[in-house]
Amino acid sequence: MTETIEIALKTLEAQLNQPLETALEACARCGICAEACHYYRAEPKVEHIPAHRAEQLRSVYRHEHDFLSRLFPVWTRSKRLDEPTLTNLTEIAFSQCTLCRRCTVNCPLGVDTPLMMRAIRAMATASGAAPEILVMLADAAIEKGKDPSFYKEMFLEQIADMEKQLRDITGDEEASIPVEKRGAKILYVPLAGAHTILPPAVVFNAAKEDWTLSIFEASNYGVFLADVNRAKQVARRIVDEANRLGVKEIVISECGHAYASYRWDVPNWFAGQFDFKVRSLIEVLAEYIQDGKIKVDPAAIPEAVTYHDSCNLARNGGLIEEPRYVLKKIAADFREMTPNKAEALCCGGGGGLVALAEYAERRIAAGRPKADQIKNTGARLVVAACENCRLQIGDLNEHYNLNVQITALTDLVVRAMRLPKPLPGTEAEHLFEGEKAGIPAP
Amino acid sequence: MLIFQLLALTGLSMGLFGIYRRYAQTKRRLLPTDKSPVKGNISHGITYAFTTGMMPWAKESTRIHMIAYLRGIGFHIGIFTAIGAVILSPFWGFLPPLLSRISVWILTLGAILGAAGGLMRIVEHNLRGLSLPDDHFAVWLTTLFIALTGLGLVKEAFLVPMYIVAAVTFVYIPLGKIRHCLYFFFSRMFFGKFFGRRAVFPHGISYREAVK
Repeated sequence: MTETIEIALKTLEAQLNQPLETALEACARCGICAEACHYYRAEPKVEHIPAHRAEQLRSVYRHEHDFLSRLFPVWTRSKRLDEPTLTNLTEIAFSQCTLCRRCTVNCPLGVDTPLMMRAIRAMATASGAAPEILVMLADAAIEKGKDPSFYKEMFLEQIADMEKQLRDITGDEEASIPVEKRGAKILYVPLAGAHTILPPAVVFNAAKEDWTLSIFEASNYGVFLADVNRAKQVARRIVDEANRLGVKEIVISECGHAYASYRWDVPNWFAGQFDFKVRSLIEVLAEYIQDGKIKVDPAAIPEAVTYHDSCNLARNGGLIEEPRYVLKKIAADFREMTPNKAEALCCGGGGGLVALAEYAERRIAAGRPKADQIKNTGARLVVAACENCRLQIGDLNEHYNLNVQITALTDLVVRAMRLPKPLPGTEAEHLFEGEKAGIPAP
Repeated sequence: MLIFQLLALTGLSMGLFGIYRRYAQTKRRLLPTDKSPVKGNISHGITYAFTTGMMPWAKESTRIHMIAYLRGIGFHIGIFTAIGAVILSPFWGFLPPLLSRISVWILTLGAILGAAGGLMRIVEHNLRGLSLPDDHFAVWLTTLFIALTGLGLVKEAFLVPMYIVAAVTFVYIPLGKIRHCLYFFFSRMFFGKFFGRRAVFPHGISYREAVK
């Protein structure tokens, strides 16, 4: 047995808790999960059935743990883990599963196939077989956390420029983007890029919120690697920042995996040792509208709008009604995709797939069911509250000629706030121009 | 006859012991404690997982494969009826005739549905690709078990083969794929806890409930 295989097997053993053993044991191989998977829908073949995918890990598990399989390997097709098997497992877990949990929801036994795919990802990461780019991105974030002073000055300069834009857009000379403000109520954690800072800044200022901007980004590539150690180090930057500033809550930008990890995983990684709560920006938007803290025009968006449920936000995160509440307050023609909510189809960009250029073709092909869904709504605007979903739907838009515009929910809310000027460099600006060009505004 | 009854009883004891060992082995493993603040309702999630969440209309998959799902349900009702019938076999003479007749009908239907499942595993492309020798053996063994129990209820001549096949079936339960009968409970429990905590299931949680 090579060292790589030894490490991979040890990692599997270390993860073997009650839920994982259950997932490995419970499947009856009934095949009912087939259509639940967008890979199967796009290309119906046995290899794309979630149960078949999981079976590749089960065969290794059985070899290690099942009495009958050790006696008669052929009876259960059990096999010893070797290099080609590990390569195959890695390929499956990183390129043929977005960890969307749609198969789990559709399984009569509730088998958690993504849990097994995560176990494989962890095995691959520990043994050095995981995609290099994900490892590099996670490690870069960890390094950034060790010495933020290296880029902080530049970041603050950019924020100062953004503040000018903010004042220009809102017409409010007092509008600001506070950074590292001690005692603020909210620590808002954006993604990399002004598009996830400026629109929320508009909203926070309009709501007269006591907030501060994080100097770190919310995304966490350690999560995609299923490497709790790395993921925890990435998350620690923000947990420490929140503790240092004494904030009451962390608000996560429109990002599926970041929300799911900070809301549902981080409390477990840190054994619940913090006093702040975690919310998504979507929940905050819904609250502001409900409480009248921001004023929105109920007919601000005349185009047909549809909403894509990010798997991490909806099925894995429980944020199902909040975005719909917001959309129904601002969009006159809101159309649901079918199926939606907990049964929504994955767009194909989750699980870190968007970052893996080597699997781009496969990712686009697997996104076809989502593209068809979007087409069937007849909507012109697709709202996605997750950056990876937006990138994927953008690619689907181009590849399948959907002729739609993809936008974040916050951008649309800002548009509905009817500010003196539109947001720069976003779809919102384009839409604003569109309105001026003759698309009827109410 | 007593010898064969004892054989079935031994098989049942071995099967139960094997299942208990499996249960104990799994329970010995770590059960992660979830410290994230609950959004939904865990007990509602678990209740959903074992009740309405199992209804044929509750999932897209079972709506698409309604017949296959109902076939499976019928087959499993047949299995549990057969197990109950074999355990009660020394007292069959005391059973009301109507109950015997109903049992025979359930077992007949269960055996037919089991055989259909066995054939589907051979004929249907996806199922053939997914199936292991263990799956084929398990479905035909349990089908034979159901059929012989039904026949045993009708004709005494089938009692000996019924007890022999029952013994083999009971012993095989913890060894092969049939042990999913144990993990079903674990799996649905984890399902209910996970999705209940996150307010994903049961369906129909309103925005006001969601933002509480």
